[in-house]
Amino acid sequence: MIELKQITFSYSGQEKGGLQDVNLTIQDGECILLCGRSGCGKTTITRLVNGLIPGFYAGDLSGKVLINGQDIADLPMYEIAEHIGSVFQNPRTQFFNVDSDSEIAFGLENEACPPEEMKKRIDITAKDLDIGHLRGRSLHELSGGEKQKIAFASVYAMNPDIYLLDEPSSNLDMNAIQDLKRHLALVKKQGKTILIAEHRLYYLMDIADRIVHMEQGRIAGIFTPEQFREISEAKREEMGLRAIDLNAVHPKAAFQVPSASMLELTGVSLHYQKHHVLGGIRLKAGAGEVIGIIGHNGAGKTTFSRALCGLHKKSEAQFIWNGHPQSCKDRLKRSYMVMQDVNYELFAESVRAECSFGIRKVEPGLVDSTMEKLGLIPYQDKHPNTLSGGQKQRVAVAVSMICGKELLVFDEPTSGLDFDSMVQVAELIRELSAAGKIIFIVTHDYEFICRTCSRVFHVDQGELCDDFPVSGVTENRIRKLFSIQQSAKED
Amino acid sequence: MGKKRSGLRMSAGWNYSMNGRNVRAGLWIDPRTKIAILLLCVLSAIMAPSMRYEMLLVLLIACFGIACREVRYSMIGALVYAAVYFITTAALKTHGSVQVMLVAFLGLVHKVYPCGILSGIIISTTKAGEFLSAMNRSHVSRKIVIPVAVMLRYLPTVREDWHFIKDAMKMRDISPSLKSFLMHPGMTIECIYVPLMMAASKTADELTVASVTRGIENPKTRTSIVRIGFGVWDVVVTVCFLALFLVGQFCKGVF
Repeated sequence: MIELKQITFSYSGQEKGGLQDVNLTIQDGECILLCGRSGCGKTTITRLVNGLIPGFYAGDLSGKVLINGQDIADLPMYEIAEHIGSVFQNPRTQFFNVDSDSEIAFGLENEACPPEEMKKRIDITAKDLDIGHLRGRSLHELSGGEKQKIAFASVYAMNPDIYLLDEPSSNLDMNAIQDLKRHLALVKKQGKTILIAEHRLYYLMDIADRIVHMEQGRIAGIFTPEQFREISEAKREEMGLRAIDLNAVHPKAAFQVPSASMLELTGVSLHYQKHHVLGGIRLKAGAGEVIGIIGHNGAGKTTFSRALCGLHKKSEAQFIWNGHPQSCKDRLKRSYMVMQDVNYELFAESVRAECSFGIRKVEPGLVDSTMEKLGLIPYQDKHPNTLSGGQKQRVAVAVSMICGKELLVFDEPTSGLDFDSMVQVAELIRELSAAGKIIFIVTHDYEFICRTCSRVFHVDQGELCDDFPVSGVTENRIRKLFSIQQSAKED
Repeated sequence: MGKKRSGLRMSAGWNYSMNGRNVRAGLWIDPRTKIAILLLCVLSAIMAPSMRYEMLLVLLIACFGIACREVRYSMIGALVYAAVYFITTAALKTHGSVQVMLVAFLGLVHKVYPCGILSGIIISTTKAGEFLSAMNRSHVSRKIVIPVAVMLRYLPTVREDWHFIKDAMKMRDISPSLKSFLMHPGMTIECIYVPLMMAASKTADELTVASVTRGIENPKTRTSIVRIGFGVWDVVVTVCFLALFLVGQFCKGVF
């Protein structure tokens, strides 16, 4: 049993993410879903339970966290680790070894599990989670979804009583999310307690016993899945929550079809370190089109988008812009990629400086008008790193506009964003489209595609599989691509 | 899954991976031996009697690297050193202040280079878990071991970060090349280190959290899935490096 008693917490030197008067009791074997806007404190609750607060993150804490009647503050981190397993958001920085078997063994090694027993446990883990094909592989060559599976396996091998997951699906494609769901169901059947903080709710509706909605550090409501399903769409959006049933999400108003094509690709064939990645791509796109690039983790979407921007040189392809063939250099001048981790593209010490950093010949008026348009004026003197994820994306977009880029690529712009931020990004993309930019979006987010894209471009197994417009007519086709089960199972 | 798997290490020093798939085949030696040979390498480089001797040291390191299956890295390392060697010979033939400047600089390169290339090989061939277990076996304090292990794991991510940053710079029309570094050093440095630092602090935090929540601080004697221990090859490698060091000290006439 986990008991949170009268918890009030604030991070030192940070306003967001604190908690106020939180009381919550979680029974053994229960699955609790924590949801709410970014900064509402759901991650903070997971950190309290696994002892990272106050062990790792400093702040003012009052109240008590009891696990089976024992105060967690009295336990050292390694003892907590034997009972509580944690899985985090970013698959890249969760593993500690270079190969998958050592990684699954990592927790067991720390527990001083004898080698024979350890091998047995790893075998069982691989069998239970169906990840035999991932064994003995180098972690660097695994896709994000596969890495996340190894992270889960590593915790599963330790056989904890409580599983804590902090936004585990942020970087996963639809199939990987289905696998995660299966793993969670398995763990639940074994009678384990699960505590999971998430923005994507739909895949947890069959698993969660109670859904805790948080707002500004307080528990705003606790629902059963039945009650939760009855919440109207408008109310749910007001609560800042993502869709709970993807079958109820439909493409928004149809886009007008662009008049003439501006960009034309023929015979695109891409290589990465001598491997053939993607071939046979043909595409024509007009100004204002928003094209969603979808496909599994590792299908070559990133390589394709890098080639579009002229960053990937190993390609045989014809890129034609308004009738003129484009070299890598030309494409670099025309295009801009908003990366999944925007931090890599932010260099300067303030938002205003960022907007003109490194750009030759900037008209001073342009910086102001662009910041105004994107609503960045209130933050102009702040350090870009102190902004939220969505705001950082805006800064990157502002840079692209000031550089006069005409082709924009967004790499998973909604990973880890809450409903409000997702809507804002969608609006931003609509505005860019109205301004006549060609936009490509690499994404796994069905809801987001419905809100923004005019067209879907599906790549799988090294080739283009599908290319069709997004509308009510093609709705079912898109759902199929995302392997969304038709008519969600009602208990 | 009851099938009996082949042993993790089929012979004394050569490591084969499980399930027949190679994670990293090649020479395997204990992390403690690696530290020992690194120390010997530092001593040899500092007290090297001549440039020819250092060339020999680099060659030995390259051979070690190739045995560890770091073929490309070792070859490039040896070739670059050969280039430095010839530049130095040429520099010795110049006169006046140019010679002083060049020789002082190149002298430093000669001292640091062998240790640098050996560290590179060691870092890329040592698993964090292996390192932890070996240090634990020798009762080295966790206060030293854990940060070093996090660092070992962090270094490869720098390379990934660098790729992203390079892309971002290109899109801003700042070329990440040597030429632009010489033309606008301030801006180029800022472009590299600001995002790298931001990424570093985040990555280091996340890595630490992931390891702490899986009990890295557990005081029990750590076990290891890969058998840790000294074998024949540890002795062979140590003897090679020790011999080179001793030859450098006591048979100076040869070089």
